[in-house]
Amino acid sequence: MSLWFALSPLIVLTFGGLGLMMADAFSKTRSDLALGSFLTFTSAGLFALALWIMGGVPAAVMLKVAPYIVLDKFTLFFTATICLGGAISSLLAGGYLPEHDIDRGEFYALMILAAIGAVLLAAAGDFLSLFIGLETMSLGVYCMTGFRRTNPRSAEGALKYFLLGSFAAALMLYGGALIYGATGSTSIEGIRTALTSGEFGTLRDPSRLATVVIAMVLVLVGLAFKISAVPFHMWTPDAYQGAPTPATAFMSVVVKAAAVATMMRVLLVAFGDKASSSWSSGWPPVIAGMAVLTMLVANFIALRQENVKRMLAYSSIAHAGYLLVGMVAAWGQGNEIVAGEGRAALLFYMLQYTVTQAGAFGALILCGSKGKEAVTYEDLAGLGRRHPGAALPFALFIISLAGVPPTAGFFGKLYLFRAAVDGGFTWLAIIGLLNSALGAYYYLRVLVFLYMKEPAPGAAQATPMKSGYIYGALAIAAALVLYFGILPGKALEMAASAGKSLGAKIEVREVPTKMPDTATAALP
Amino acid sequence: MSAYAPMFLLFAVGLLLVLAFFVGTSLLGPKNKGAEHQLPFECGSESTGGRHIRLSVKFYLTAILFVVFDIEAVFLYPWGVKFRSLGWSGLVSMLGFLSVLVVGLVYCWKKGALEWEK
Repeated sequence: MSLWFALSPLIVLTFGGLGLMMADAFSKTRSDLALGSFLTFTSAGLFALALWIMGGVPAAVMLKVAPYIVLDKFTLFFTATICLGGAISSLLAGGYLPEHDIDRGEFYALMILAAIGAVLLAAAGDFLSLFIGLETMSLGVYCMTGFRRTNPRSAEGALKYFLLGSFAAALMLYGGALIYGATGSTSIEGIRTALTSGEFGTLRDPSRLATVVIAMVLVLVGLAFKISAVPFHMWTPDAYQGAPTPATAFMSVVVKAAAVATMMRVLLVAFGDKASSSWSSGWPPVIAGMAVLTMLVANFIALRQENVKRMLAYSSIAHAGYLLVGMVAAWGQGNEIVAGEGRAALLFYMLQYTVTQAGAFGALILCGSKGKEAVTYEDLAGLGRRHPGAALPFALFIISLAGVPPTAGFFGKLYLFRAAVDGGFTWLAIIGLLNSALGAYYYLRVLVFLYMKEPAPGAAQATPMKSGYIYGALAIAAALVLYFGILPGKALEMAASAGKSLGAKIEVREVPTKMPDTATAALP
Repeated sequence: MSAYAPMFLLFAVGLLLVLAFFVGTSLLGPKNKGAEHQLPFECGSESTGGRHIRLSVKFYLTAILFVVFDIEAVFLYPWGVKFRSLGWSGLVSMLGFLSVLVVGLVYCWKKGALEWEK
């Protein structure tokens, strides 16, 4: 297998992004750009799947780009997830942008270029490539957030996201610099080796260890910002509400997936040594505390929201909390079997969250129309009777977010909490379950308004927009939500296999070369 | 630790000096309170106009394009110096880098970012 094929998802995305930029500059009509963007994401995702089906990238090829880019199955899994989120988001943009008079081709180019950063981030095996990926992704997403230029909320969200995001990136870079100072390595694998052996493993020089701990905290803050975990979530509601809804969908699934991948790689591999990942002196209690805080704060604030888009923003923060529960389970107290189960549960959760959340934002787009993007609960009243075709997908995604069978969200939560219980974190699973019940209240409120309320006389009513792109996106997302909800086995199996490949040593198996003895003997 | 002592001393002296100036001016300096005193100082002349001046976006575009192609030159220079020893792989990587920038340039051109007067 050639290196070009191994890197094909990234190459396809690069050519697609640049090609769309050119198409935007030279073509008069923009209606096909969404389709081009969708096809770019789909083919990149299919290349990742093809690599997976062929048994992953061989070690000899992986070593050519190691340690900067790690092409293990873990990366392929996240590449496919990112491309799935990107594909749905581009279809949503194809319906949303013309309706709201911001039909500019840059949006698609930015989205694809940001996705390149996300894939690079998920694949990064070195703090240098990690930072490049992070910045490539973030710069694109900042622009997408501020894409509704004439809307003050959009500008506010973009500015907040940009300022806080740059600050978080700086903290992370500082953490990377400190860890380089302490261990003499910037690669994930090198840091792991340095921390498990030599002076850290045996001598445990306290002053050097302090540097490692500070570095770990700084990197953790940067990553927690990207997955919008409490207390680093302040930017999320404003940015999510201000951004055009396809950008919100993209941010809440693609950016989060890339950040979760990096978090897993950094915490489980780089800081996966005994001291850094122990309950008494390492990162697990911090993650567990952050998980509890994130779930509680986000769910309680989401209860009080009147705007459905803002409610979904808080719901996205709450899901970051569930993902952090999975992070603790993926640590699994160092027990291989439990950790494997936890990793699989976390990856599956991320996958089902991608289709569910992108679908929910898509349904929200469908229920809004020109000049009326912000939808309150009242606007949705009676939609189930007036426009059953728009209400049905909305209801499906909402019950999946709430975690009700037979949807993907149910199995996501089931595996996640079971892994937490198996890892000895029953209390964390119980808090997670209670929070799911809390979340069900505001999710079900959407259903109540959709199907059981009638609009007040004279009140504004949501009129669903008509767009083939949105219908297509919702059909894909709904099909996957039901597929993962009814037959989760295949996806879970892939998640388990991807989780297992994380942090595995890249070794080339020696292939005995057939060389006649006489030939070697003849050499001097 | 003792190796850093001169540095800390310098730091302390600097801090003390700044504090001394602040305390000194507030104790010794003349105090004029009045409406004139509160106005922003603009070279002695009366200040006019509001604080918010809107600049055309083309200034930013020109500036950012300048930075992009300046950085391109920064990368091209060492490559040109080491052209022979970098060989074909250097040429190919540089062409890849340049083609991305050319795509960006064509894009800017078509969008009219290079025209000062519309």
